[in-house]
Formats: sequence, structure tokens, C-alpha cells
Amino acid sequence: MNTPEKLIPTDHTAAQVLPKNFLRPCLLLLLREHSAHGYDLLERLRPLGFSRDDPGRLYRALRALETDELVRSVWEKSNCGPDRRMYELTRRGMEVLHESATALLQTDEILGMFLSRYSEFVTLDRTPRPRVRRD
Amino acid sequence: MDELEVLRIRDEMLQALYWMHSEGISEAPTALELSRFLAVPERVLQDYLARFVADGLLESQGTASYQLSPVGMESGKRTFADEMADLTRPTHGECDEDCWCHDSPEAAAECLHEHAGKAHSN
Repeated sequence: MNTPEKLIPTDHTAAQVLPKNFLRPCLLLLLREHSAHGYDLLERLRPLGFSRDDPGRLYRALRALETDELVRSVWEKSNCGPDRRMYELTRRGMEVLHESATALLQTDEILGMFLSRYSEFVTLDRTPRPRVRRD
Repeated sequence: MDELEVLRIRDEMLQALYWMHSEGISEAPTALELSRFLAVPERVLQDYLARFVADGLLESQGTASYQLSPVGMESGKRTFADEMADLTRPTHGECDEDCWCHDSPEAAAECLHEHAGKAHSN
């Protein structure tokens, strides 16, 4: 395979605090933004803290989402290569995404409280967040 | 080998290989790469890979890498579609109750626009 990194959060410090199944809501979010095929999702996961080495994990996650009827896939015809599966969000997927976002908001508040209390001892150097591009 | 298990693994493997091929991820993965992709131990896959080569579904590429034969390619694509057939939809206007286009007139208009000239799904 030509992708040498693992599909795990690239920053090990971040990996320790990210929700356990963060890939799942991330995929729902990306598909909420627009339908996509697998390689596109692999690329768009990177700004969310994932590198692109383990496409099998993405494949299995998509299969699970499809089995759970949160995502569906259709064939996208291609004139210059094999037809590909295009993934899109179902209505149930949008509902689950909203539930996940609500849970993440609570996590964000807890993390904010943690960082606020820690900053009483040490001033952390906060790296400016890059502007997020959707594509 | 349990023949029902062979059929199940055959479908899983052909679909995965087709997906890897169609997404440009790998044309001919090794057994180890395939085992990582499917999260199945390599030793478990080996016998099945040999079986599918013998069945003409896969072609072995020298040092134990595998790619879909033309028959395997067709089968992988077809089983992928068949498995998810109940989740796919017809063209706009014939779509099921889960379709976005039922949300509002605007959504219906957008749906029509997005799918103009092509099927809602396969």
C-alpha cells in the first residue's frame, strides 16, 4: 500500500484526550458537509487529527456506518477509471451526528474547565487554530 | 474449509480489494497489507487467498501480492452493490421516506438540482 502512516490521531498528546470513537462522528460530519468517496474522506480526515495510513480502518468504519444505516453508498460512474462508491449521510446519520456533537460540546466544556484551572499554575502556549477548509 | 464461510470471506475480500482498487489505494496488496486492511490475521487469510487464486478470482503477483482478476473485479463490484441494495434509492420523485427531499420544498429543489440527469443511486 502506498500510505505509510496509520489512521490514528497524529498528535499523541491529542490522541490521549480525543473521544475513543472520534472517527465515527468525524465521518458523519464530513458526509454532512457533502457526499464523498473513500479517498476524499481519507484526505479530509487529516485536519481533524487523523493521518491517512490505515485506509482499512476507514473502510471498516464506513462499512459499519452503512450497516447501521447512518450512511449509504451509491456507485459513482467514472469515465477514466473504475466506478467508485460515493458515500452520503442518511437522516438517521444526521440525528446521530447531532447527538455526537452535543456530547462533544459537553466534553469541550469539561476540557475548557480543566485548561482554565491548569492555567492557574502554568501558562500554556496555545497554538493558533488553522482556518478549517471543508475541501 | 466450511464452504459457507468461504463464500462469506470471498465476498468480503473481493469487495475490499475492489474498494482499494477503485480508490487508488492499492492495485495488488500483499497478504500482510490485506490482513491489516481487513483486521484479520495474515495466517488466517493465506489459505483463502490460495483458494481464490485457484478459483480464478484473484491473480497472484509474484511475491505474494494479489490483485483481482477480471472475474473477481466484476464479482467484487457486484457483491458490493447487492449487499447494500436495500439501502439504495431510486431516482428523485421515487425516493423513499428517508430522502432529504421530503424535508422541505427547498430540499426537494436542491435534491432535483443535485440529481438532475443522473440516478439518485444505483
